[in-house]
Amino acid sequence: MATLQLDRVTKKFKKDVVLDEVSFEAEAGETLVIFGPSGSGKTVLLRVIAGVYEPEEGKVVLQGHDMTDVAAEHRDVGMAFQNFALFPHFSARENIASPLTALRKSDSEIEQQVKSIAKLLKIEHVLGHLPRALSNGQKQRTALARALVAAPKTVLLDDPLRNVDAKLRFEMRLELPRLLRRFGSTVLYVTQDYREAMALADRIAVLVGGKIAQFDAPESIYLRPSSIEVAKLFGEPAINIFRGQVNEQANRVLVNQNQLILPKGFQNKAGKTCDIGIRPESIKLFREKRVGTTSYEVITITPLNERSVVLLRSQEGLELLATYPAEEQTTRIGDAFWGMVVPEDLMLFETETGQRCLPEQN
Amino acid sequence: MSSTSSALAAPKSGRLRKKILPYLLSLPALLVCIGILIPFFTAVYYSMMRFRLNLPYLKGFIWFDNYINFLSDPAFWNTVQISLLYAFLTVGLELLLGLGIAVLLQQPSKFNNIVSVLLLLPLMTAPALASLMWKLMTNPNFGILSYLVSLLGFSDFKWASDPSTALLTVVLVDIWVYTPFIMILLLAGLRSLPKQPFEAAALDGVPQSFIFFRITLPMLMPYLLTATLFRLLESIQQFDIIYSMTQGGPGDQLMVFQVQAYLEFFQYTNVGRSTALLMVLWAITFALSNVFIKQWLRLRERTHGNG
Amino acid sequence: MNQLSTSQRVFRGVLLGLVILFFMFPIFWIFLMSFQTNEQILRIPPSIFFEPTLINYQALITGRLETQAGNLDIAFMENLWNSVFLSSSAVLLSLVLGVPAAYAFARYRFRLGEDIAFTILSFRFAPPLLVLLPLTLYFEDIGLSNTYTGLIWVYQLISLPLILWIVRGYFEDISPDIESAYRLAGHSWLQTFLKISIPLARPGIAAAGLLSFIFAWNNFVFALVLASADKQPVTVGALAFVTASGIQYGQIAAGIVLSVTPTLLLALYAQRYLVEGLSLGAVKG
Repeated sequence: MATLQLDRVTKKFKKDVVLDEVSFEAEAGETLVIFGPSGSGKTVLLRVIAGVYEPEEGKVVLQGHDMTDVAAEHRDVGMAFQNFALFPHFSARENIASPLTALRKSDSEIEQQVKSIAKLLKIEHVLGHLPRALSNGQKQRTALARALVAAPKTVLLDDPLRNVDAKLRFEMRLELPRLLRRFGSTVLYVTQDYREAMALADRIAVLVGGKIAQFDAPESIYLRPSSIEVAKLFGEPAINIFRGQVNEQANRVLVNQNQLILPKGFQNKAGKTCDIGIRPESIKLFREKRVGTTSYEVITITPLNERSVVLLRSQEGLELLATYPAEEQTTRIGDAFWGMVVPEDLMLFETETGQRCLPEQN
Repeated sequence: MSSTSSALAAPKSGRLRKKILPYLLSLPALLVCIGILIPFFTAVYYSMMRFRLNLPYLKGFIWFDNYINFLSDPAFWNTVQISLLYAFLTVGLELLLGLGIAVLLQQPSKFNNIVSVLLLLPLMTAPALASLMWKLMTNPNFGILSYLVSLLGFSDFKWASDPSTALLTVVLVDIWVYTPFIMILLLAGLRSLPKQPFEAAALDGVPQSFIFFRITLPMLMPYLLTATLFRLLESIQQFDIIYSMTQGGPGDQLMVFQVQAYLEFFQYTNVGRSTALLMVLWAITFALSNVFIKQWLRLRERTHGNG
Repeated sequence: MNQLSTSQRVFRGVLLGLVILFFMFPIFWIFLMSFQTNEQILRIPPSIFFEPTLINYQALITGRLETQAGNLDIAFMENLWNSVFLSSSAVLLSLVLGVPAAYAFARYRFRLGEDIAFTILSFRFAPPLLVLLPLTLYFEDIGLSNTYTGLIWVYQLISLPLILWIVRGYFEDISPDIESAYRLAGHSWLQTFLKISIPLARPGIAAAGLLSFIFAWNNFVFALVLASADKQPVTVGALAFVTASGIQYGQIAAGIVLSVTPTLLLALYAQRYLVEGLSLGAVKG
């Protein structure tokens, strides 16, 4: 049974529609990442689920109960805020204990539970400190501990790694899935970092402009984005997008006088204009000419860990981003590459709606 | 935690309660104030009546006669004149002095901070009591100030009891009490100004006077305006100092609005005329306070963000 | 301003000296007077060197003043008590009424909200007599004339706007997320208000309370119009005191010293918040 259901939730601020008929469901124990660019309504969505904001329309159902009109404190929801929102006049211990005191647990029980979660999050040594004496990383862990300590059925994490440094973010990204699984809660995790989303999510809801643009498993979203918008949001460097003309045989697509091979199944697109998406890693690059390759000139190079990002230009003037493994032979601007787009990786999008065109099944 | 039971026990009327809550919270304060608003409307009504407490049988509604009578009443025009004179004189002088002192104390050093705290003391003295203090100091028999001016050759300087120096004396007391108000606001303003324009100007070798008039003053404008309007609003209504010092005298030298209205009510028991006079004052302060509140809100927004 | 010439330095020093002299001298001089006998006060030339005496304070505290016309009973201590009682009751009532309202205005955008807030603010600027004079007639009808209740009610005109607008600013500065976090931890609205909002706004509440106490104490016209001798605070009482015939000048001075000392001490104690309070929250010091 779905433990969390949103049914056509609409939230407006004055006349701005921030959430537009958002619906989805999450299963028990699932980590669901809500991903989207800033301003897409992610935080508002979490707050509607938490009961901080009231939706104008739609229903929020938790554990099978309609919670739309239920006050925040009765929803059995734990939440970590992006700015931590620790109580500045409470010690870390009191901060973490606050959901337990609300349950009127005994002092010894509270102490024991706070200790065990603090140990898990490695903040036992700072429990006596006030928030202002904590480092950002400790604040963030305290906020997480507070959200999790009472093992609520629903846990909402609002971009919890946003305000911590890169090293800590990396550590937490590894640590969090284990931690979250331990509590068995349904987790809604907001982020605007697609890598974080892919690393943590069982499923991802992509929120764009207050609407769910795609709701699917991480690899599906990466490989089969539902629209240009989603394709652009996933991947670094970003996907190449061109306007292209499909030929009458529907086996080639003409982009800026370059012929690219079209995968099978796009008969219905014959002779039509489409937007073409090519992920940089879908372009195979060679130093020497091979069958089916086109020659490109290197315009710029950006080293990126074990791979380098290059901006290439064909003789016909087509510019695209590609990556290739960093190798001993250094690449310079002006060098020549022979490149080939893997046909199966080519994506077609409708020019008007931006929706992806799916190949017909044979 | 059993979510099921807590969810079932949860009140479903959360939305309605959330709507009423702000009204519930502010209602008591509002009710207390409504009790005070009623007399205001009564005052409007009284101001259109012939209403003397000692001649109850004359009581009657006369529309705007009280106001119309003011037009040809020299006592009324004297009140208007003296009230405006008092307000502009005090606020003008306090502004100059307050700005000067604020500039003197601008650098936050320990000594300057102590001085600025000490200067708060006159402001925190009840104006009525401050007047008594000055009354004691200007007493012709033993007042220290009377003694000091006699050393300067003014042997019979009568301060507040002489028509020619009464205004000067109350203005002096007003300055003593309220200059610190302007000073402290401007000091806060001066110290909150960004440093870069001044550092840049100093590096360019711009003369001090140019910096003051072209950079400091314009940037201080919101504070100056707020302080000035605030003080004007209070000064045009000044009662405590003048009443304690001279009760409007000598003669009608210091018959400002509120003193005149007070005497009109309690000495001459002329309720109609007294309230009409106050309505005129209210019209002036209402206009002023509208300008002031706009200015004040702008400054407040800067302090608290767009809360 | 880092390199002042010596002459500039001296000039600034002299100016500051004059400023301090002008603003501090009256307080200093009255303080001295309060420890002098009539003979010492009437001495010419006046001197700051004298044998201090406590007879003025003794007379005030016992309430028996010896004058040339014989013994006189003056209820100065009663006035002092009235000031304490009226001011603190008025402030307490204002806090009870004003703090929740300030919270409502800070947190919720509701119809009428701003209107109510500004109406209350406008009391601060309306001529007090406009309300007070009709009120004298009303109070007689409803039996509130010359009662503490009536006075405390009217004192709300001073303390309520102050508390409302200062505390509102402090509530606005609290992140709503902190309150939401406490609600989500399972606490009711009321618990959140008491455990989170009020403690975090405490400096503002304390400052507003102290300031409105000072202003209530310093008020003159309300009690002048509405209270007779037995309910009068020191501001009004002291004036009657001066006009009473044959009073010794040292006793007046001692009365003034006793009357202003509480507010001056409070002002020194709360000086950090005075700037904000005096500007009704528009300027932070």
